[in-house]
Amino acid sequence: MYLVFCVAATVVLILWKPTVLIYGLQTAGLYAAIAIPMGLVLGIVHIVNLAHGEFMMLAAYGTYFACKALGMDPLLAIIPAGLITAAFGWVIFQLTIRRAIKAPELNQLILTFGLAIAFTQVINLVFTSQTYKMPLDYVSSSMDIGELTFGTWSFVFIAMAILYAFGLKFFLTRTTSGKAALAVGQNPKGAAIVGIDVYRIYGFVFALALALVGAMGALFLTKSAIFPSVGSPFTMKSFCLVAMAGVGNIPGILSASILLGISENILRAFRGTRGWADIVFFVLIIVVIMSRSLKGRKS
Amino acid sequence: MGLVAVNKVSFAMDESEILGIIGPNGAGKTTFINLVSGIIMPSDGKIEYKGEDITYAPAHERARKGIARTYQLIHPLENLSLIENIMVGSIFARGNSLKAARRKAEALCSELGLRDLDRDTSRLTILEVKKMEIARALANEPEVLFLDEVMAGLNADETKDLIATVQKIAKERKLAVGVVEHVMGVIRELTHRVIVLEAGELIAQGPYEEVSKNKRVIEAYLGGAA
Amino acid sequence: MNRSLARAIAIGAAALALILPLFAGDYPLQVARNVMMYMALAVTWDMLLRSGQISFGIAGLFGVGSYATILAVVRGGMPDWLSIPFAGLFSGLVAFLIGLVILRLRHTYFSIVTMALGEIFRIIIHNLHDFTGGPEGIVIQQGVMFGGKSSHLYWLALGGLAVALGASYWFDKSRFRFALTAIRNNETSAKSSGIDIFRWLLVTFVITSAIQGMIGGIFVQSYGFASPDSVFSADFTLLPMAMALLGGIHSTVGPILGGLLLGLVAEWLKLKIPYGHLVVYGVMIIVVILFMPNGLLGMARKAGKKAAGGQRDQA
Repeated sequence: MYLVFCVAATVVLILWKPTVLIYGLQTAGLYAAIAIPMGLVLGIVHIVNLAHGEFMMLAAYGTYFACKALGMDPLLAIIPAGLITAAFGWVIFQLTIRRAIKAPELNQLILTFGLAIAFTQVINLVFTSQTYKMPLDYVSSSMDIGELTFGTWSFVFIAMAILYAFGLKFFLTRTTSGKAALAVGQNPKGAAIVGIDVYRIYGFVFALALALVGAMGALFLTKSAIFPSVGSPFTMKSFCLVAMAGVGNIPGILSASILLGISENILRAFRGTRGWADIVFFVLIIVVIMSRSLKGRKS
Repeated sequence: MGLVAVNKVSFAMDESEILGIIGPNGAGKTTFINLVSGIIMPSDGKIEYKGEDITYAPAHERARKGIARTYQLIHPLENLSLIENIMVGSIFARGNSLKAARRKAEALCSELGLRDLDRDTSRLTILEVKKMEIARALANEPEVLFLDEVMAGLNADETKDLIATVQKIAKERKLAVGVVEHVMGVIRELTHRVIVLEAGELIAQGPYEEVSKNKRVIEAYLGGAA
Repeated sequence: MNRSLARAIAIGAAALALILPLFAGDYPLQVARNVMMYMALAVTWDMLLRSGQISFGIAGLFGVGSYATILAVVRGGMPDWLSIPFAGLFSGLVAFLIGLVILRLRHTYFSIVTMALGEIFRIIIHNLHDFTGGPEGIVIQQGVMFGGKSSHLYWLALGGLAVALGASYWFDKSRFRFALTAIRNNETSAKSSGIDIFRWLLVTFVITSAIQGMIGGIFVQSYGFASPDSVFSADFTLLPMAMALLGGIHSTVGPILGGLLLGLVAEWLKLKIPYGHLVVYGVMIIVVILFMPNGLLGMARKAGKKAAGGQRDQA
């Protein structure tokens, strides 16, 4: 049933406004690549990191100034950005989040919210709210198909999203640490009993997720301007996608992001509705909440 | 379809009757109580109480209708004192004013032998915790009360004390009481009648003496013929 | 602290607050006004917190109230004094509609949706450009209420705070305290005792949001101007949270205490590090939640218990 719907929708889009399909998929890739690490943390460490987008923002800022200073292209910085963000995140985890894991959920939410604010405001303090952008040639690359012209650089986001999705799947199901992580996510007490160091896994998973986020920060920098609060919409949209997919469902995040990406771009395509594109995720969360609570009623 | 946890369990309870609900682990006893009290919703079928269909009625409504239960793992409301914990049902299930609820809760406490009522709930002995949990449920002024392994963790004297208490309240309040227990000694002494659940189905009912000799029941507990 | 002493202090403080304009100058009165508005937001945030739900959307509801007031006056010709309770009603209604949906799943879902509220309202206002004045904002032509007289604006803000405190006190003395505490401590037990969790949360959310909206109305009438950036500012979410956390959550007194401390610190900070003060609040929130989650009041209570406990053991 879904398949029929998807094929039909795709055909309609191609015939009517193919750019919507293309940009929709590119946006989907961006959102998915950022949301997947949040899903990883939620599924294994069981916390919602409200500072998720802000870590990406920090990585982007760090990459910008490092690249400016060293005269290098941000693409080269992707891996270092990932590693440094992972290390930074691990430290933050050990200092703060780790202490809140046993505390009520309330405390965790407030804590990560406080982190998000602290990060945003420190950047605001040091760099003001000025936007920074890296002028790069290759991001304006485009392709022509018949009468259709569209930007092609953003396809990298789709590639990243797919890489992350399959990479994580492989990691979680085929490697020892990955399987240990899955075990911890499903049953922390049981995992501890069989000798797995649960807190070490938590720290590791958190760092891994932030490595993915950091890499995305560098990549994000190539295409977009950065400013202190650039991360916040990504936190919320990531949560929306993770909520839609359900905890632990990484492929689900991919499909959900396609829905979000295409819906936003449909609205962006028309001048009258352009301003409403950023409300789509909110509507989707509401829909998720309503359908979850109705399901809860019946069974 | 998955595992059917509770399957067409149907029986009657009389006022002042104490009914034992027994069965091997995983038989569906707590699930049954959760279904009746509205903590979980059935995936199929109907739940009727006094002729009324309450299948999808939320838990708080069932509490108001007269169904009360205790919990196996007791987590008192830590930011309320002992007596305030007991007042809750009186205020919300019965709609009493704070003053009236306090009076009633005090009466319940003296009946059950609880003292020093403004205490923090973190400083109660295990017997007091059990009594508080029962009082909490009684504050609803229910017609039906389910006690889910309320004797767990008590020593012989404490168990005797609690058995006597339960018998007294059942009689004085004309309550129908359903008691889930694993210790057969308690069942034998406390209950008038027993029903046996196995794998979600009711496989026997009757007085304990009879049921304990029932072949099917023994097999259920011991695992059946090899 | 015994009852009559506490009552005496409260009455004394109220009397002092009331007569302040008689001997304080314009600037201190303005500072006091702002502090009181933040305090009112802190108290109402705490009221919802008592049920176990965290709202990150104070600025959102505050902003909705601000715009309700200013649009009612500028576009609808509503008289000043009426526009403030109108803000409360309007915000309450918005909260009711949102709450109908998001309070069904509560906790994290609820909190994240409230986080998005400010942004969503900001987008709506931006898009309904013609009606709302868009990103540039809207000015009340006839100027600020009471012609800008500081003493009157001060009393207006004091009135708003009084409403918030009154509501919080009512919550503490009535069955609200039992309902919200039960829901916060153990939802399952609460349900079994007959509490309709959804209904209580909805009522609490509506009442607290209405007051927050009303404070937004007071804010806008005190300054005569509203723009998306000024009324949906993160200040209005962060500072109240930090105040309540520092002073001691789950109480009426805590947010007041935190409010006084932070309110004065905030004014000082704004002068010293005009762009950095929000960092301080963020860090403060982190430190408090990690090391003293029950705030100053909680620490005082613990110290009191230890002292009392020591005596009791000897008795």
